[in-house]
Amino acid sequence: MPPLEKKNNKMLPWLKYGIGGAVVLLLAYNSVYFRKLDEVKAEASGKFDAASFAKNFLEKQLSPKLETAPDIDELTTMLSTDKNKAFDTYSHATAIGNIRYFLVKGQGKIVKINENDLTIQTPKQQLTLAMEFIYGNALRDASGEFDITKFTKTADINNVSSELNKLIRASVVFPFRPKAKEGDMVQFAGAVALNKEHLNLAEIEVIPASLK
Amino acid sequence: MFHQKKITSVIQQISLRVTPCQTPRNSVSEKNTAWLMLRLGGFFLFLLLVGCAEKKDSNAPKKMAIIISTLNNPWFVFLADNAAAKAKELGYETKIFDSQNNTALESDHFENALVSGYSAILFNPTDAEGSVVNVRKAKAAGVPVFCMDREINATDAATSQILSDSYSGCVELAKLFVQQTNKKGTYVELLGLVGDNNTWARSQGFHSVVDNYPSLKMVAQQSADFDRNKAMDVMESILQANPNIDAVFCGNDAMAMGAYQALAAAGKASKVKVFGFDGADDVVSAIKDGKIAATGMQFPKVMAQTAAIYADEYLKGKREFAQKLPVAVELVTKKNIEDYAAFGKKEQ
Repeated sequence: MPPLEKKNNKMLPWLKYGIGGAVVLLLAYNSVYFRKLDEVKAEASGKFDAASFAKNFLEKQLSPKLETAPDIDELTTMLSTDKNKAFDTYSHATAIGNIRYFLVKGQGKIVKINENDLTIQTPKQQLTLAMEFIYGNALRDASGEFDITKFTKTADINNVSSELNKLIRASVVFPFRPKAKEGDMVQFAGAVALNKEHLNLAEIEVIPASLK
Repeated sequence: MFHQKKITSVIQQISLRVTPCQTPRNSVSEKNTAWLMLRLGGFFLFLLLVGCAEKKDSNAPKKMAIIISTLNNPWFVFLADNAAAKAKELGYETKIFDSQNNTALESDHFENALVSGYSAILFNPTDAEGSVVNVRKAKAAGVPVFCMDREINATDAATSQILSDSYSGCVELAKLFVQQTNKKGTYVELLGLVGDNNTWARSQGFHSVVDNYPSLKMVAQQSADFDRNKAMDVMESILQANPNIDAVFCGNDAMAMGAYQALAAAGKASKVKVFGFDGADDVVSAIKDGKIAATGMQFPKVMAQTAAIYADEYLKGKREFAQKLPVAVELVTKKNIEDYAAFGKKEQ
């Protein structure tokens, strides 16, 4: 057997193993990859991204509506004189029942800084601006823009409120709260929850969506 | 089917009678012809009566089946009775089926309802997961199902699910809980049935607020299956390990009453605030007496009536319904207790 042929025969197994090994490595590399478990779980369950939805909802649906909200003093006057008309014209709610939500705006003087809220004197009444308990569905529902028929999961419906409230706490309330002083004037817009059957206009609390 | 059998039987009888008419003797033949005519007349009269009966059936009121998880609990009896009353008011015959918290029995009720020609089913599921197959069976048979109070773990089976907004109700309770505990202290949570979606919706709503206050520490979280006696036992054992708690949050009013009893027996009722959920009769009284701090009032009448109205609208052609329709839960405290009665508002 010629020396070159001998050498080729010796090299052939190494070449075979080399190519085989490379193929195995290539297959292994393409077969295994790492991703965050949360991402995979979310993808598998088709998880709804409530945070993104809430951000988009705030920017595109809630904020533009704040400008056209009724003045709080005019609204409470209307509620006192013609409750049904005021509820029919301005209130919204995703749930059926007596709790209805109004989008409102107004301005007034900060007369007292309380542990959980600010007491505001508007031209016609005293009300509170929530600073601590920014929870519930008021901001989600008050504009009437939230369409529950597009949702099939209860958790998604609840998470929209939760994420929207988080956004408002972070972007509206937290920056405003330390600067607020008694005697300051404040322009506010936000949402109010009222019980249609047992209307109490003496304790109005505004959940703010905008504070200046 | 019944009519078909009868008609076949009559035709067979006529055929038997026709055979002798083929005999050659005239007198006999005339007699037989008269007999045949009489028989044919009778047959046509029968057909006429059957036709009339069928016409009467088509004018008969349509039927709604009301299938309820259990009628051992006054809450569900109230739900069933209100659903039946509204359906009757809308012109439907109704029948209430008691599943006795048994999915197998519930399955039998669905089969009965489907073969008995019910047009719609107003349904309070026994099991969020186990009841799905029954709803799908009805859907396949073209019978719409409207869930009341409890949901099923499927969004493409029932036509609509009308449910208390438990999560939001517990968010409101939690706000009060944080205020009344001054944002600090230790507390216990009693959960309902761990397999029931309402248990977790209530717990999640509560924790979505309370967990933002790190000085409020949960020292125990245990299930008492929505049961008063079990809640009392669970609370008694929790108190042995944690005698100085400040508050108890319970997933329903029965457990709140059980927890209160345990606290009263331990001499701690006056310093521990107890919160419930439902709006049951004894808790409404207990709030008046200052024994229970608050509850979330549910409105089973609203849920039952809405389900019946939706079923009626469906049968009249409407097809667009929200898959999940929440019914608002209202916070009831000593301050507004006079506005409420058990399972809802006082009649005005």
